[in-house]
Amino acid sequence: MKLEIGRIYIKDIQLGKETSVIDGVLTVDKQGLIDNLKEDGRIKDILIDVARPGEKVRIIPVKDVIEPRVKIQGGNNGFPGVTSKQAQCGEGRTHVLYGAAVVTVGDIVGFQEGVVDMWGEGAKWTPFSKTYNLTVDIQVVAGLDPHTHEETVRIAGLRASEFIGLAGENVTPDEVLTFEIGSMFEETTKYPDLPKVIYAEMNITQGLLHDTYIYGVNQSGILPALLHANEEIDNAVISGNCVAACDKITTYQHQNNSVIYDLYAQHGKEINFLGVIMVPEHTTLAGKVRASDYTVKLAKMLGADGVVVSEEGYGNPDSDLLMICKKCERNGIKTVLITDECAGRDGLSQPLSDTAVEAVAVISGGNVSHVVTLLPADKVIGNAAAIAVLSGGWEGSLLEDGSMMCELNAVIGATSEIGFHNVTCRLY
Amino acid sequence: MSDSFKVLYYVNQFFGQIGGEDKAGIPPEFRPGKIGPAMGFEALLKGEGTVVGTIICGDNYFNENKSDVLEIILNMIKEAAPDVFVAGPAFNAGRYGVACSEISKAVAQQLKIPVVTGMYVENPGLDNCKAFAYVVSTSDSAGGMRKALPSMAALASKLAKGIEVRSPEEEGYIARGMRKTLIVEKRGSQRAVEMLLARLKGQPYETEMPMHVFDIVTPAVPIKNLSKATIALCTSGGIVPTGNPDKIQSASAQKWGKYDISNKSALNAPDFYTTHGGYDPIYANEMPDRIAPLDILKEFEQEGYIGKVFDWFYTTTGTGTAVNKSVEFGTQIGAELKAAGVDGVILTST
Amino acid sequence: MNNLIITNNPAVAEIKDIVLFVDGSAEETLIKARDLVHEGYELISHPLAASLRMMFSPFRSVILGKKSDKVDIFSVEIIEESIIKFKRHMESRKIDTDNNDDYKMIDLILLEAAIHEQPVTW
Repeated sequence: MKLEIGRIYIKDIQLGKETSVIDGVLTVDKQGLIDNLKEDGRIKDILIDVARPGEKVRIIPVKDVIEPRVKIQGGNNGFPGVTSKQAQCGEGRTHVLYGAAVVTVGDIVGFQEGVVDMWGEGAKWTPFSKTYNLTVDIQVVAGLDPHTHEETVRIAGLRASEFIGLAGENVTPDEVLTFEIGSMFEETTKYPDLPKVIYAEMNITQGLLHDTYIYGVNQSGILPALLHANEEIDNAVISGNCVAACDKITTYQHQNNSVIYDLYAQHGKEINFLGVIMVPEHTTLAGKVRASDYTVKLAKMLGADGVVVSEEGYGNPDSDLLMICKKCERNGIKTVLITDECAGRDGLSQPLSDTAVEAVAVISGGNVSHVVTLLPADKVIGNAAAIAVLSGGWEGSLLEDGSMMCELNAVIGATSEIGFHNVTCRLY
Repeated sequence: MSDSFKVLYYVNQFFGQIGGEDKAGIPPEFRPGKIGPAMGFEALLKGEGTVVGTIICGDNYFNENKSDVLEIILNMIKEAAPDVFVAGPAFNAGRYGVACSEISKAVAQQLKIPVVTGMYVENPGLDNCKAFAYVVSTSDSAGGMRKALPSMAALASKLAKGIEVRSPEEEGYIARGMRKTLIVEKRGSQRAVEMLLARLKGQPYETEMPMHVFDIVTPAVPIKNLSKATIALCTSGGIVPTGNPDKIQSASAQKWGKYDISNKSALNAPDFYTTHGGYDPIYANEMPDRIAPLDILKEFEQEGYIGKVFDWFYTTTGTGTAVNKSVEFGTQIGAELKAAGVDGVILTST
Repeated sequence: MNNLIITNNPAVAEIKDIVLFVDGSAEETLIKARDLVHEGYELISHPLAASLRMMFSPFRSVILGKKSDKVDIFSVEIIEESIIKFKRHMESRKIDTDNNDDYKMIDLILLEAAIHEQPVTW
């Protein structure tokens, strides 16, 4: 399978009358986009805005982040199985508006809190303070049940990114990346001496606000699925997670899964990268046992020597992570886990209570309870009431000068468990 | 001089140049100026700070009069109002380490003054204070003074001036057990791939989240016939004969004791009390059996439910006691009990 | 197979048949579940949710399965660790009561998903 990703560097976003990219400036036809999204009768209102790196802007509550793209050759444009007809992802050529992101805002429930600050202290902790963000605030008609509400907002974000992505269709990319891995037999023949490595990506799959979709299929009802490394980075996977702000995998992070990128970079040099096992995180213990058994079985069938396991979320998925780890290590497959930790606000609590002697190699995405101080914003995009959710965590979190203290768990992508961000914890 | 910060120093009788073991019973005294290691320490501050006084206290005196002496010392410190407090280094000296540890913790917690001390990693005083003070890692004997003082001075200087203290590796102190959230150069996925490559090649790597791994002790085989078994009573709850004849420390215990209970039907007040410094003693002192239930065991013996209560009762205090000390105690006590033919032990904690 | 739902969520108690309603906090619900696990019930659903935000929910539902004479060690480990983790997160947090209705709803929906997830076993 061979995929070319053409990156078109975006240096600014403007709102205008037509959608185009000229000299790195993405202009978005605001009314055209609104009209397009409102073809969905479930949507009442769409508010479009732009947030640029460095601006004193806060976006809250963020539902999802999506990278605008267009399919040039092979497959179907958009998200096959969701916004377009089913097609194979991971082949042909895709253009990416690199540096731009669609950030959707839409509160399905009152306790969503995901925050992106474009400046100051808050900006340090989210990777999406560095992208030029087109914000799409989606308000739905009255009377929708929560599942339909979530679906409406999710699909609107994907469609918005598709609409904008079209601007890159006839633009020459600034950079073209090639991702090519043949069949396992071909690759093993080419690199007989390289250790075989698989990536096990755990995804939250537990019901409303806690779902992940592969080609539009809700992952909660399927067994762990084997993907070619190209599929996920070519729009095969989308996020339905509206909570777990700090450690959920947004659609943007699926499209740019950093573990896949970093394993790809070593393919043919240090490792033979076999592919990705998409592991559902179930609610029941039986489901957890089944998914971890099945994952390890797939890894063994493929002859994996090593595996990177990434988690999504916090709480019950910690059990899945360690089950996979234990079973892999017992089968002679070397593991590295990526997770985040809760060491308390002062960092003095013992992280991860589920201890496993097998978990000898763990990457920490940081302490979810680490406290950061967010300064007052000049402009809030989204629902200012959500800031109350953010500041309502404990006594004294709202300070006199209008700044507030919040835990990293409210910041989008802060403690990424696919290692998308540069945060970690060290013992001091 | 206005820029010069004030350091107050603590040493024991030996480093305070008063004397050896024979002087270990001296009460605390404050001396203006620098004595013993404080001299070398001040020189390392390069004129930026001054040692304004040295508190000297005998190790035995401290350990036997802990609560009173702590208050006296805290008052001396309050009066001198230093910018930073320095104790030791105590190397691997047990009583000195415990003194440095207790004082350091109290100064940091109660007076909110930053504290630097120095210890060998196995010093029994370490665990109690490392979260509150910066404990420089030293060798196990005073021969390591020359190496310890520069790290201690550098830390004291940073703390006094409010400069951020860097990682334990860079500064030479023992990790305080705090998980600090940092932004680093490489993203997590890259670190993960590098760690996996190291594992696959058999190269060294360091996990970012050391798991707390507990000792696994194989349970003894079950007692087949309890009515024939000899059962010993053991506690880390600090129950001792009144007067604490063996002077078992109320915290960070350095020893254990054993007492003949063959003629007793219970651990009654006022013959017994607790010396444990880690919990409210009222209920234990009212009825020491609440901590170590000899009364019930003796009843069982009478009823024939168990064969016999072992003649000796074993005790120590568990609070702040270092794990390696506990292992040592357990091994010693276990060996004695085994040799005496004891079949089972009731071990109570608090 | 009839499972037992331990819950403090009135929305769950209202529509489910075999429910042990806990008139108390989320923590008390977890503790009740723990007590039953120690009496021999096995855990069907994990006691915690998958997201930190749901950790802050005042409502919690846990599904228990068969009761046997022997304590299920796996269930014991999971419930004990869950309570430790839960307490650590809630130590200094205020309970978010402003969003009670939403938390009740999501707790119920996630519970339904868990019930649906468990295939028929005997």
